[in-house]
Amino acid sequence: MPKVVRSTIIDVPVDRLWAVVRDFNAHDQYHPVVATSLIERGHPVDRVGCVRRFTLRDGSELREQLLALSDLEMSYSYCLLDTPIPLFNYVAHIRLLPVTDGNRSFWHWESRFTTPPGREAELARMVGDEVYVAGMEAVRQLPQLMREGH
Amino acid sequence: MARVYVSSVINAPAARVWARVRDFNGLPNWHPAIAESRIENGEPADKVGCIRAFSLRNGDRLREQLLGLSDYDMFCTYSILDSPMPLTNYVATLRLTPVTDQDRTFIEWSADFDCQPDREAELVSGIGGNVFQGGFDALKRAFGG
Repeated sequence: MPKVVRSTIIDVPVDRLWAVVRDFNAHDQYHPVVATSLIERGHPVDRVGCVRRFTLRDGSELREQLLALSDLEMSYSYCLLDTPIPLFNYVAHIRLLPVTDGNRSFWHWESRFTTPPGREAELARMVGDEVYVAGMEAVRQLPQLMREGH
Repeated sequence: MARVYVSSVINAPAARVWARVRDFNGLPNWHPAIAESRIENGEPADKVGCIRAFSLRNGDRLREQLLGLSDYDMFCTYSILDSPMPLTNYVATLRLTPVTDQDRTFIEWSADFDCQPDREAELVSGIGGNVFQGGFDALKRAFGG
């Protein structure tokens, strides 16, 4: 079962980064591969159990469910419900931690899943680089996360 | 219960930083405040339960016991048995996590303890600044940033 981990340092205080990252429905506002996103049934975005339905720029549609959310730990977990990409049993975890030295943020994003035989490396690279790294880099560039004076 | 939490980033792969800090008897090799250290009863320094007796450069002597050590998760947890500091029930954890972006290390050092309320601010800033951040600054210098 592949395990994918990507982590980075974002030069912004962790409470400001968490305010952006915790929004389960905001990825269409910054992630380069996400075109549109909505929370099904009009549920609140921070209601554990809510489902986000989103489309990628290539037109494919995915559904993901929020499994856990903690403002104390600054973490959440979610799983894939429906996807045209052959990722099975996909569960992902996002966690932020403060870097007190410099008042920055550590961002950790990981998942486990199964794939059709022989596609593990290809899909692990796709998830790690095109989803996680691309998402982190897009958030890093958000104007509202720029330091004063930068 | 007072809590200290300090974290930083070291410009070196986590495995290299871990090789430097996992030795429970190795504080004098990397921490500028520690003068000398030994493990009591000739036990191995990675035997969970072993006790390190060490002295600071200012002459203070401490004894600490290893409560947990993980080469898999890269953390080390220990308690203070004897120290000149006015605190009790002190348990601390030093933990490393890889930063995959640029192959760096996220390093955390935290402690929980009990003390008189009027001593808490002084203890938190002394432990967090001189001990924990002081150790991080030395590691950053040793690993080039």
